[in-house]
Amino acid sequence: MLTLIRREIRDHIVYFIAAVIFSAILVAFITATRYNLDWFGSAVFGAFSVPLLVILVLGFSAMGVTQMYLDRNRKISAFLSVLPVTRSRILTARIIAGLLAILIVLVPVTITATVLERIFAPPIPASSGYTAEILTTVFLMAFACYCLGLLNGWTANKIAPTIGALGLNFVLVSLVFVKGFGQDIKFLLVLVIVACLIRTWQKFMSTSL
Amino acid sequence: MDDNVIKVENLVKYFDGRCVLGGISFNVPRGCIYGLLGRNGAGKTTIIRILLGLEPATRGQTFLLDTESTNLAPNDRGRIGCVAEGHNLIQNYKVERLIKLCKDLSLQWNDESFGHLIETFRLPMDRRVRDLSMGMRAQLNLSLAMAIDPELLILDDPTLGLDTVARRQFLELAIEVIQKQGRTILFCSHILSDVERIADRIGILAAGKLVVDCPLEQLKERVKKLRVIFSESVPVNLYLTEIINRQIRGREMTITVANWNRQKQTILETFKPSSCTEIPMSLEDIFIECTRPSDEPVQAA
Repeated sequence: MLTLIRREIRDHIVYFIAAVIFSAILVAFITATRYNLDWFGSAVFGAFSVPLLVILVLGFSAMGVTQMYLDRNRKISAFLSVLPVTRSRILTARIIAGLLAILIVLVPVTITATVLERIFAPPIPASSGYTAEILTTVFLMAFACYCLGLLNGWTANKIAPTIGALGLNFVLVSLVFVKGFGQDIKFLLVLVIVACLIRTWQKFMSTSL
Repeated sequence: MDDNVIKVENLVKYFDGRCVLGGISFNVPRGCIYGLLGRNGAGKTTIIRILLGLEPATRGQTFLLDTESTNLAPNDRGRIGCVAEGHNLIQNYKVERLIKLCKDLSLQWNDESFGHLIETFRLPMDRRVRDLSMGMRAQLNLSLAMAIDPELLILDDPTLGLDTVARRQFLELAIEVIQKQGRTILFCSHILSDVERIADRIGILAAGKLVVDCPLEQLKERVKKLRVIFSESVPVNLYLTEIINRQIRGREMTITVANWNRQKQTILETFKPSSCTEIPMSLEDIFIECTRPSDEPVQAA
């Protein structure tokens, strides 16, 4: 399994490097806004955070699409499947690699946000756990978009996965902006993740390689 | 525990409503070298892909090493070496990286044998697979398949793209594997002389059916091509069954008959031909005769 995960990371190293860079940008952005919130103003914070969030979800969706699209068109799984590897292991390794990329972005951000919250947040119960709630939703959204990418990427057609994944990602991101970071949106994102994973699994396990 | 390493039971496969395999059944016993022959599009590669679990069957079942193809565990796959048609290796990898990946994923790896093969084939480690010639890719694929000391070797047109020298090297290598006890090989090729050289059982696919499935020697024994000259005109009906091909020129008739036996010989003798001579047939001749349309099956006795 480790070999397969390593292979996924190495084959899609661009996304992992981008994740590290993006994580650094996010950490810098959060730190800067916390220290200079008055100067920045909440409108400026909002104006920057929305495109960052869109880039984040589109990046992970693109990663999912690329992993599946390249696999199908380069017949990577067809080659791996004649080695002592099962299809389920190939897909599991792929999903673990995707999760790792998401964590590379979100773990440093979470640590930074938690530390800053402890330093700056007022000691009232209303503000505690707010950061955790936002980051959980962002994690679920990023993973949901990644799973949508996986689902849409398993095709020989280039246009359909791009348009399909883009459309569905915008629906998801819009939903988060409309509904906020509450429990209902988390439930919805979990449902999307489960549905996408089941369908991807079923497609990948039963299709010709 | 069955002694058949490969079992194919009533295998049916449709592609877009077109029947490619119409109920194929055959077994390959342990230690056997099975040559699967057929014209382009006959379904040889489809059978192999279904056997390896890369393609789902429409109906029927296939088993490798006593396990259904769809349920092959890594432990089973680790005992099977495979050289696929077109050599679908990961094209954008460097040779060195591909070898490392295969080695890391394999359950066993014979460094000595692999090193020997790489040296023999002089494969460049620093080049990408896509930059290798077709022949080099075939050699790399074969080396990777052999490095795991496979119990079962599945070769789908392995010599495709190889030059004469490389083809000879490959065959010698295959013979070396055969000499190791208990190794089973399923071998598809268009080069019938290669198959004739190493196979001990032959299957011929035509129009989605397995028209021949018997040992090579028996096949040569049972399919006969005869030149029969009659004193008068050639009889309209010879009352012989399983005539694969018949050509008449004056008083001379050339017939190819499947499942030739004493009974058929007696029937022919009742017409009192002035001469009856057997024309020796190579595997290629038999293959051409058997893959003509409207064949009758030649089954093992």
